[in-house]
Amino acid sequence: MTSVPDQEALLRGFAAAAEAAYGELTALDRHSGDGDYGDNLRHGTRQALAVYDARGGAPVAVLGEAFLDEVGGTSGPLLGLLFTEIAHALEDGPDGWASGAEAGLAAIQRVGEARIGDRTMIDALTPAVEALRAGGPAPFAAAAAAARDGAAGTAALRARMGRASYVGDRVKGEPDPGAVGVALLFWSLARAADEDAEPPLDSVK
Amino acid sequence: MNIPFQPKGGDPVPGALRGFARLYSDLVALREDPDYLVARQRAEGRVVGLVSGGGSGHEPLHAGFLGRGMLDAVAPGKIFSSPHNRQILEASREAAGEQGVVHIVKNYTGDRINFGIAAERLRHDGVEVRRVLVDDDLATESDDTATGRRGTGATVVVEKLLGAAADEGRGIDELAELGARFAAASRSLAVASRAHTTWASGEPGFALAGGELEYGVGIHGERAATTIERPPTEDLVTRMLDEIVAGLPAGPDDVLVVVNGMGGTTLLELYALYDRVAGELDGRGLRVVGSLAGTLVPALDMAGFSLTLTRVEPGWRAWWDAPVVTPAYPNGATR
Repeated sequence: MTSVPDQEALLRGFAAAAEAAYGELTALDRHSGDGDYGDNLRHGTRQALAVYDARGGAPVAVLGEAFLDEVGGTSGPLLGLLFTEIAHALEDGPDGWASGAEAGLAAIQRVGEARIGDRTMIDALTPAVEALRAGGPAPFAAAAAAARDGAAGTAALRARMGRASYVGDRVKGEPDPGAVGVALLFWSLARAADEDAEPPLDSVK
Repeated sequence: MNIPFQPKGGDPVPGALRGFARLYSDLVALREDPDYLVARQRAEGRVVGLVSGGGSGHEPLHAGFLGRGMLDAVAPGKIFSSPHNRQILEASREAAGEQGVVHIVKNYTGDRINFGIAAERLRHDGVEVRRVLVDDDLATESDDTATGRRGTGATVVVEKLLGAAADEGRGIDELAELGARFAAASRSLAVASRAHTTWASGEPGFALAGGELEYGVGIHGERAATTIERPPTEDLVTRMLDEIVAGLPAGPDDVLVVVNGMGGTTLLELYALYDRVAGELDGRGLRVVGSLAGTLVPALDMAGFSLTLTRVEPGWRAWWDAPVVTPAYPNGATR
């Protein structure tokens, strides 16, 4: 019997993680991009929390709408596509997490055109989706660990997409903030499913 | 130092959109939050909405080309920044024809992603979407990066030709295919003798000495890969045309020419440049069947110009010559 994540716990947990990781994410994005990733992630989760507390709804769908409609840049709205696909899949039943995440990954790749190894959120999301699809006794913890490893691995990569691609090898040494954000999300998801997982950043411990 | 005239707070875009909508109130309408503009008139037979957009600072692109014979809606971003997906989404919802929308997108990562997100959302709503990507800038042709050539001056050509084709009632797949062919048949190159002004500071976006020229410059203040010693203008035109003609894919000898000012270059200069360009093309066995000269796709107030050539397939000329009713497309260029 595998656990089922609680959607509201995911929303609140991910929002808390975005607050706690704000400084670390901002520092990471200054290293490789324009420094707004922490702001964008926090803005998205704050918006989603505000909407959810005001009028309820399905928490993952609320996250999707907040990230798609209210967050600037590109990483936040792409995360919105992931939430939206998961929300669609969950409408058909509580087993929709894996198929929804897979559809979300496909949508993000259609739109963002990044592949594994390009130093983007895809490097964390792809292994996480594979772990979820594989199932096992604790699939959400496995997905969190896979996302964490995938995000950590981006530190050795050179960017091929986005603003970070303009600065070449100078981005190496630190992980991609977008990949770390995805790792934070899957860590929050594992906790919402009552599965133990190691956090991807010290600041959220 | 040259501080632009701008409102308190520094963001000129909202006021410019309102002013534009007031100026051309019979042709366009502004929708706010999210901000986009729509054409008030469209040809009766049009079954596909044409939607474009991109960063501001390139006026009259794109809003100036709203109207009969060209675009149905545009989503303007902040200066040199992609519009938000929500602007594109709402603009597309309003502009969609019975067969859906075609997005005309300049090739920049942010624009591609934001138009792509809007397209995903539109498809969820049941609206058909196709994309025409404009990627004409030879200066960014490289096998090393995944980003490909930037979209620049050819955007006007694609918007003009595709608008006329859409007015004939052509379907969404045919328009997407035609648009891709218009873009594929186009190549551009731009130079600058002075950077655009950075609005906040009033200082140039990059430094260039008096005798230097930025060769292969972008439209967002991106520096070129090379800074060259400034050659005589005649030699410069020859060099640019050599590269553009060599970069064009094979095709008919009929060409369209756009001499585009980058914002700080006078029409006097552009007309004289056009004279030189047209004369050179005659000597190269290319036949100019249509042309534009003016400030059409600038980079704020950069001093410089771009040249665009498009090879014209049989049947395209009528679309180039078709009349338009827009705020800014040069009416003298239609027949």
